[in-house]
Amino acid sequence: MHLKYESQLREPLVYGDKTYKQVTEDIVRPIEAKPTKLWYIGFYIAVALLMFGVYSVYREVTYGIGQWNLNKTVGWGWDITNFVWWVGIGHAGTLISAILLLFRQGWRTGVNRAAEAMTIFAVMCAGQFPIFHMGRVWMAFFVLPYPNTRGPLWVNFNSPLLWDVFAISTYFTVSLLFWYSGLIPDFATVRDRAFTKLRKKLYGVASFGWTGSTKHWQRHESLSLVLAGLSTPLVLSVHTIVSFDFATSVIPGWHTTIFPPYFVAGAIFSGFAMVQTLMIIVRKVFGMEDYVTIGHIEAMNKVIVLTGSIVGIAYLTELFMGWYSQNKYEGYTFWYSRAYLFSPYGWSYWGMMACNVLSPQIFWFRKMRRNIFVTFFMSIIVNIGMWFERFVIIVTSLYRDYLPSSWSVYYSPTIWEIGFYAGTFGLFFTCFFLFAKYFPVIAIAEIKYVLKTTGEGYKNQMAGIEEQPLEDFVHQHAH
Amino acid sequence: MEQKKHWQSFGELNQSEAYNKEVKDEFNEDLPFVAEEGNSFLDAKAPRRDFLKYLGFSTAAAAAAASCEMPIKKAIPFANKPEDVVPGVAKYYATTYVQDGDAVSILAKVRDGRPIKIEGNDLSPITKGGTSARVQAAVLDLYDTARLRFPTIDGKEVTFEAADKAIAANITGSVVILTSTVVSPSTKAVINQLLAKYPGSKHVTYDAVSYSAMLLANEATNGVRAIPSYRFDNAKAIVSLGADFLGTWISPVEFARQYAAGKKIDEKNPEMSKHIHFESVASLTGSNADEKYLHRPSETGAIAAALLSAVNGQAITGITDAKLKSGIEKAAKALTAHKGAALVVAGSNDVNIQIIVNAINNAIGAAGTTINWAEIDYTRAGIDAEFAKLVDEMNAGAVGTVLIHGANPVYSWHDAEKVKAGLKKVKTSVSFAAKVDETADLCKFVLPDNHFLESWGDAEIKSGHFSFIQPTISPLFKTRQWQDSLLKLAGSNEDYLAYLKNFWSAKLGGVAGWDKALQDGVVTTSTGVVSGGNFNSAAVAGAVAAINTAKKSGKIELVLYQKVGIGAGQGASNPWLQELPDPVTRATWDNYVIVSPAMAKTLLDIDLNNGGQADAYEVNPPKKVVKVTVDGKTIELPALIIPGTDANTIGIAVGYGRSEKLGKAAAGVGKNAFALACTNGSTVSYTCADVTVVVTGETYPVALTQTHSRYDTAQGNRTEVMKELTLAEYKHKPSEIRDERAKELRGQISGGEKLNNEEVLEKFEAKGTIYPVYDRPGIKWGMNVDLNTCNGCGACVVACNAENNVSVVGKPEVLRGHEMHWLRIDRYYSGDMENPNVVFQPLMCQHCDNAPCENVCPVAATNHSSEGLNQMTYNRCIGTRYCANNCPYKVRRFNWADYTGADSFGDNQRGEVNDVVLDMNDDLTRMVLNPDVTVRSRGVIEKCSFCVQRLQEGKLQAKKDSRPLADSDVKVACQQACPTNAITFGNANSKESAIHIVRKETPNRQFYVLEQLHVMPGVSYLAKVRNSEEVAHHEGGSDKAAHETKEHA
Repeated sequence: MHLKYESQLREPLVYGDKTYKQVTEDIVRPIEAKPTKLWYIGFYIAVALLMFGVYSVYREVTYGIGQWNLNKTVGWGWDITNFVWWVGIGHAGTLISAILLLFRQGWRTGVNRAAEAMTIFAVMCAGQFPIFHMGRVWMAFFVLPYPNTRGPLWVNFNSPLLWDVFAISTYFTVSLLFWYSGLIPDFATVRDRAFTKLRKKLYGVASFGWTGSTKHWQRHESLSLVLAGLSTPLVLSVHTIVSFDFATSVIPGWHTTIFPPYFVAGAIFSGFAMVQTLMIIVRKVFGMEDYVTIGHIEAMNKVIVLTGSIVGIAYLTELFMGWYSQNKYEGYTFWYSRAYLFSPYGWSYWGMMACNVLSPQIFWFRKMRRNIFVTFFMSIIVNIGMWFERFVIIVTSLYRDYLPSSWSVYYSPTIWEIGFYAGTFGLFFTCFFLFAKYFPVIAIAEIKYVLKTTGEGYKNQMAGIEEQPLEDFVHQHAH
Repeated sequence: MEQKKHWQSFGELNQSEAYNKEVKDEFNEDLPFVAEEGNSFLDAKAPRRDFLKYLGFSTAAAAAAASCEMPIKKAIPFANKPEDVVPGVAKYYATTYVQDGDAVSILAKVRDGRPIKIEGNDLSPITKGGTSARVQAAVLDLYDTARLRFPTIDGKEVTFEAADKAIAANITGSVVILTSTVVSPSTKAVINQLLAKYPGSKHVTYDAVSYSAMLLANEATNGVRAIPSYRFDNAKAIVSLGADFLGTWISPVEFARQYAAGKKIDEKNPEMSKHIHFESVASLTGSNADEKYLHRPSETGAIAAALLSAVNGQAITGITDAKLKSGIEKAAKALTAHKGAALVVAGSNDVNIQIIVNAINNAIGAAGTTINWAEIDYTRAGIDAEFAKLVDEMNAGAVGTVLIHGANPVYSWHDAEKVKAGLKKVKTSVSFAAKVDETADLCKFVLPDNHFLESWGDAEIKSGHFSFIQPTISPLFKTRQWQDSLLKLAGSNEDYLAYLKNFWSAKLGGVAGWDKALQDGVVTTSTGVVSGGNFNSAAVAGAVAAINTAKKSGKIELVLYQKVGIGAGQGASNPWLQELPDPVTRATWDNYVIVSPAMAKTLLDIDLNNGGQADAYEVNPPKKVVKVTVDGKTIELPALIIPGTDANTIGIAVGYGRSEKLGKAAAGVGKNAFALACTNGSTVSYTCADVTVVVTGETYPVALTQTHSRYDTAQGNRTEVMKELTLAEYKHKPSEIRDERAKELRGQISGGEKLNNEEVLEKFEAKGTIYPVYDRPGIKWGMNVDLNTCNGCGACVVACNAENNVSVVGKPEVLRGHEMHWLRIDRYYSGDMENPNVVFQPLMCQHCDNAPCENVCPVAATNHSSEGLNQMTYNRCIGTRYCANNCPYKVRRFNWADYTGADSFGDNQRGEVNDVVLDMNDDLTRMVLNPDVTVRSRGVIEKCSFCVQRLQEGKLQAKKDSRPLADSDVKVACQQACPTNAITFGNANSKESAIHIVRKETPNRQFYVLEQLHVMPGVSYLAKVRNSEEVAHHEGGSDKAAHETKEHA
């Protein structure tokens, strides 16, 4: 009788025969070592982009939204496109952490930390757009329902933009807490290894006095579960509410009931693509191929091909309804403004189709799913496609809406609109570089948790057991 | 005990003379605005208006001086309140808009000493309260920063005394007075006084756009060198040979009102006048015609001759084009069918054509019915040949002194170089121009005239119709009425006011009559009898013969036309008019070459029937530049494709390419096309044959405010946007529009398929939504626009700008779709692309009861009032633009930059906003702002408020009088300005209100734009009805074929 059980389908979650010590060493090494030249170059580029973004926003705040090429008909353009895009990216982190935690998907451990960090930074970037797209950003606090001296002046709870305020701030808060609570044991590990006083102090404060006692672990586990439970509906609700910005309006192309699921699927799609982009770089740069394995990458590619196809069905449904409803206004938006290749914005629709629906289909092939270069390339293609999707929804619906008299001239961004977008890339990567330098990019504690049941060590252990006579095993394990 | 004496100064102790005087006068300064006893305030040394002017100006100046980073603006209250001025309450003074020949009776609204708005004078029997865009915009000219602020000699500032002396010393021998048409009888008397003083002198009248041919033709056929009055309201059949009588021809405000009378439809007995239009380049009038035929300008004479033959029952010869021929036959049929109620007008400046037109009018019995010779129109009197002779005389050195007022031939004469050369040879050249125009620039002396709002005067617009001018503000600068200057030169000691007063007191029965005339603004002595004059047919045969021998052109031809806003250049320096989209082309801030879609295909290689090419043309502002060559003279302008233009004809607007000295708005805008005009020996011709047009390969951006013009798309005809039909269809089935509405709404009601049409319309409000519907008691403001009487002239747009302080943004911003107009006039085409039906639709905020903008604002900055107003709270707005996106009518406007200087960020305009915008923020220009309306700052949305400030004022008035609100209490600015009364406004809940009555009495033509969205708009429209036999109203069909037959990928 053999006790050996090795899954033929599931790969190990961690490669190599790692000990706990080794895991800690591998993951904490970048924090303790001096950053590489490459890190500096990347960081400075990110900061430069951020500075350009700050200047672009400065111009917009000082001189007005006229710094952008929006007009009387196209009131939102790159600003809200970028907002929705970043929010979408910010979905994967929480999805990986929360939903996969609840579903007990062991493979999440390799990528969850970085994915959550990405979420937080992406939501930070996203938040810039609705704030700075305001004509009078200095009055932005009007959107907060605070008791005021202006009589019974309250916010408008009917407005989807207000729902956004709540949805995004809640999402950000919960994601941040979730991320941080996961970081506490790892910070404690870094603290315990600290070789300077300052490090010890800073990581000490950051780890909130974690001692690793069973009580701490028990509470930590409970908190993680509670936060996962809270985050799970948020993953679905945030993009649902973002989609309400459009779905509840009267504009043909926006006024669509399938938006909530379609937006959520799209968000997961783009979020996973962004995680792929980042993780492929991180595992390479920090040499963490053993923790972020090809199996992880393949799993995420499966999610990408699934959500990409859902999004594709949504596109086709829209087109179908544009015809089936016999609503001439919707018909025009879907069939002419978008789907007609030679209409002014036809290129963006077909760009979207090519990037989001057609190209991810290569992930039906296992070989492709497991190819790092293809994955990396596709992850970028998908995010370009998802940017197009939001651009298509916003601009092609607005620029030719109900009254032909108001149809707009061709909208293309100014350098300051592009600069704002570039600036959020700067913000994102500045944060990410700092994260990669000062935070454990992989959840050490969680890797150690799965180490018992996966990887070479586990295999060896099982092999040892296998060679044991049954009696010995029983003897050993029966108390 | 002796009383102790206390003293404060040696003066008091000694009771010195100086001290006593000081004590006596301590509090006894003259109040500046108190008049001497027995005299009127206006005769006081510093009249009331001076006081108000200083007050207003110093307030503005103080405010300006205080404007550092965070401007603190102070309003200084009256220390001594003038007796009849209530701060914050406007006064209205009857006066007259006079510019060149044009004269319109108006009321000037004066707030705290400064005129801020012009309204039509309801007492005028000519215009009955109507205005035009140019009249509405004239108040801005008063505050033009480019106005001359002092008299000059050779460009250097002098005093009037010095200038008078110098001119008097320089006059030797005779003088020539060169003016535009003078409508003022007293001024004519003053001119005669001056002419008498210098024997051999003469007065030459010069009109920038000449009506010589009409004057000469009338002299030939009726023995009078004059233009009669036209009565379009009496005409059941109107044929126009290129006369743009609704836009620019003679007296458009009057004609628009008369014309609308024939277009108003009584639903019970639907009848309309029939208007057949022949033209070469799309015009405002042609766009309104029931039927329109296109032809080359060189064919105008042949068409007139053919029409004459046809009305006389003879066969048509000389017209080969079948369409045109049938058009002439139709026109002749209509004219003869309505003998005695028919009218033919022609815009041509060719004497022969005008003689033939007179003959046609004689044949159809127009004289005495639609043409009134008892009332001569005095607004045009220039004879080209007389001016040409003067130019020759000047060049010959025969003119020693020329006094110029109103005329600007250096700009508008086709041979400007010759005028320039001539003017240089004149020893004493005096201009009375208010601004340094092209002619004044070459004059030695410039004695700037007052603006008409600063002037005294009179106008005899037609015989027996007098209109008076009184000042509404003291002259802002060192300017003087030119009549005063003339009187000085004539050696008179009297000033013009005294002269005028005497002149009229004698005629009107003393000072009381004069005062009454000033108060009313108009005096009518005409009895209203319509006279036919005496027609003499002797000249007709010769004219027809001359027409028949005229050569035909085989090449492209050119038409020079005037734009409604800019005219012959009078509006070029006015930013409101420059930014007013031309009703026909919807372009601002430029002139351009108008080409037909057919010519675009061959010349520009743009096929509007090709979806991709049409899109590319529409969405990209840069247009191809073409080089037009006429007679060796060339002009390079961008080409705009305007349907309704003859395939072989191009059009260019005059009035552009003005001198930089006329101000920021005029500088560098367009090119002067007057140079392309030519003369046929006696009159100037504004059409040219044998024109070559070549594409240069360059592009130039044109700021259009509307890029797409058809509501019929490849995915369906958007009949919810616009409804039009023909009179025949309407008579056949009066409920056509109602049925169509029901069809559009039925699908929005659950179980709608079981309801009949009337039930659908009735139940739509309650059943078209899942939300409960509430009653709306009390006041419910509503508006109705009759698309049949609206002719698209744009008076309302400018009136709205003036009333609501709507920002001017300048061309670069219009190009980016940033124009701020609260009210726009959409223009749609339907039918054949080469010669489409055109319909104009004024569109402002629809004040929806179920407004999509209101529920999306996160901060509730836009909300609904209990009176049905969609309100905008600027200081709550944070500028998310969500409301603008969600507005199906796209009437919301965003402040993209600091257009008004009202921003809390200092110094953020330079380099970001146009010079014109900066000029509009000048302290002088800002005096035109309406103090009742907030000036919006950067970053907020704004839109039509239904002139809420006027509604409040009207309600308060009714409340003070303890009576219910009446229609007369409230007139919104666009409604007031409209020359055709196309706009009805009022409390729709009141059974007596006009809006209620209109909606009740015209159920069949009524519709709401995009009604199917269930936004419940507060503005209703009456469908356009065209008096043509064609069946224009059907789904898709030929419209579709002509338009975007686009393939879907």
